[in-house]
Amino acid sequence: MSGRGSVWWRVAWRSLWRNRSRTLITASALAFGYLAAVVMVGLDDGMSAELVENGTRLMSGQMQVHAVDYLPDRNMQNTIGGDDGTNVDSLLARIDADPDVVASAPRLYGGGLVSAGARTEGGLLMGIDPNREEKVTTLLSTLDGGRAPRPGAHEVVLGSEMARQLQVKLGDQLVLVAPAADGSLGNDLYTLVGIFQTGTREIDASFALLPLSDLQGLLAMGPRRIHEVAVDVARPRDIDAIAAGLGRRLEGYGPPVQVRSWRELRPDLAQSVDLMNAWNSLIVLIVFGMAVFGVANTLIIGTFERRKEFAVVRALGTTPLGVGRTVVYEGIMLGGMALVAGALVTAPIMWWWHNAPPVLSSIVGSFSWSGSQWRPILRVEYSVKTPIVSALALFLTSIVAAIYPAWKATRVPPADALADR
Amino acid sequence: MRRIHPEPTGRITRRLAAALLALSAATATFAAPARAQTAKEIVDRVDRLLRGSSSHGKVEMRIKTEHWSRNLSMEVWSLGTEYSLVRVTAPPREAGTATLKAGQEVWNYLPRVDRTIKVPPSLMMGSWMGSHVTNDDLVKESRMVDDYDITISFEGRRDGVDVWEFNLVPKPEAAVVWGRVVEQVRKKDLMPTWVRYYDEDGTLVRTMTFSDYQRMGGRLVPAKMQVVPTDKPDESTTLIYHELQFDVHLTKDFFSLRNLRARGG
Repeated sequence: MSGRGSVWWRVAWRSLWRNRSRTLITASALAFGYLAAVVMVGLDDGMSAELVENGTRLMSGQMQVHAVDYLPDRNMQNTIGGDDGTNVDSLLARIDADPDVVASAPRLYGGGLVSAGARTEGGLLMGIDPNREEKVTTLLSTLDGGRAPRPGAHEVVLGSEMARQLQVKLGDQLVLVAPAADGSLGNDLYTLVGIFQTGTREIDASFALLPLSDLQGLLAMGPRRIHEVAVDVARPRDIDAIAAGLGRRLEGYGPPVQVRSWRELRPDLAQSVDLMNAWNSLIVLIVFGMAVFGVANTLIIGTFERRKEFAVVRALGTTPLGVGRTVVYEGIMLGGMALVAGALVTAPIMWWWHNAPPVLSSIVGSFSWSGSQWRPILRVEYSVKTPIVSALALFLTSIVAAIYPAWKATRVPPADALADR
Repeated sequence: MRRIHPEPTGRITRRLAAALLALSAATATFAAPARAQTAKEIVDRVDRLLRGSSSHGKVEMRIKTEHWSRNLSMEVWSLGTEYSLVRVTAPPREAGTATLKAGQEVWNYLPRVDRTIKVPPSLMMGSWMGSHVTNDDLVKESRMVDDYDITISFEGRRDGVDVWEFNLVPKPEAAVVWGRVVEQVRKKDLMPTWVRYYDEDGTLVRTMTFSDYQRMGGRLVPAKMQVVPTDKPDESTTLIYHELQFDVHLTKDFFSLRNLRARGG
């Protein structure tokens, strides 16, 4: 059986090369389709990765750890571990020990007033660990002037828009006023040491950053009290599994906490990414849907050319199924060649496009979309899934394209064909 | 972007604030209880009970929340509905902290940093000194009768006391935060007993109760007022008057930023 089967493979192979240029052109079309599908999906993935990166890198981080009931109300009293707080260093160590975690940063929030001279604005006070924060978010690297605040020195950093509204410059004195955790009105003098500019107006107009310990002092909270740990991970794409893993790791350890991924923290962002993923499937469908007709055309012409040969083998006793099979084999072999060629061409292009993406900043400046800053970089993103899915789609294309020609081949009536009727 | 809210403290009525800041020396006397008065007249009288030409008093504010409780002692001056000054006298940590209301503006003086700060419009709905009173409550000065249509919804005996219950529905053009206000007033001396505030969906948001009726500054007033937010029944802000004088001699100059900073008023 296998011997007879291999005969049909050989027949198919030879038939393919009867018209070499036609076969090569068709295989090239398929290979190009493969390249197009993989690169377009890669570009789309690159854009969604950029969207996630920009959306989370600025402020939120890719995961956040809170007290269970902290969100969505952000009640000031709901620090991790409640009124007693938690050992912040050991919590951070525990989070950092997770192999998927790259960095983590503790945070404390308070709502209050920022006042300078006769001007006063409402502000969101954010207590940070400057060294840890700059590993998780780019907030401090967007400093337009000055430097990060030092703990214990009564130093504060403002967003550029708030600084503009307050008409303050570096070195000016500010008063921060905030309702404290014990009901008193925390107030103190600070020096403006830095101004950050993220480009996102809501952030630049409302945030005041000061060292965690300074804000704990202003809010009459002890060093054990924080609201949030922002976490950076290596593979944002796998965020749901990583968040669940960190949740398990922190379970039963210290106070109960909730780990939320950027997908939960930024549902707007998650929806944009989901939309782009849906678009990926459509790209593959369109590219190979078009290819089906090209391949089918080649194979149909090939079968018409060989009507007499099919008639001969039928007359010698081959079943119609055997005749049809050889046409399908042709399709599969065509697909195989196209895949090898496509992969050989696609791999270096993807590598180049990922590592040296064209920067379009000469055409468009950076812009804001879906609440995140965009750099105009067209980078493709690798994935394991896309080349495999595209390869399967290519094979499916060549088989589907062969079905109609194969059916036609089985219908060749031996006597009529031989008699040229 | 995320929103971070300061500790929610709820809101209290402008009337409690008015009581705090504008203790009344209204010309109305309560010697002759209501005979043939309209609902509107009665509500207006109660409204003016704690407003007036000028006043000076000593007030204690007891704030109770889920996480902390504290008592503030304060000295309060007012002139008409336009001006008022509140200075905290105890506890020591906050003594000297003062709030000046002049027209639509509210200023705070913070002795620790020796600065006066104008409360920005965006924070007018924020809590005043951690209480259930907002800055906005301090500034509102229109009268209930101007903003609400008033009807009597009950008249008769409740808990052994003859009372009226008034239903106040905002006039279409009135800029008020409440969907409905219900107020109960004792018939014998026109003293309010409670006021209930409903939002636009008809949900009870907070209840204010009056008690400890005493003569102060020659006038019968409820010396104790308590506000309880409905969603946090264990929380409350209570105002207790210890001293109260009406028609004291005060001029607009008294309500200046310079005086806001001065210790001891």
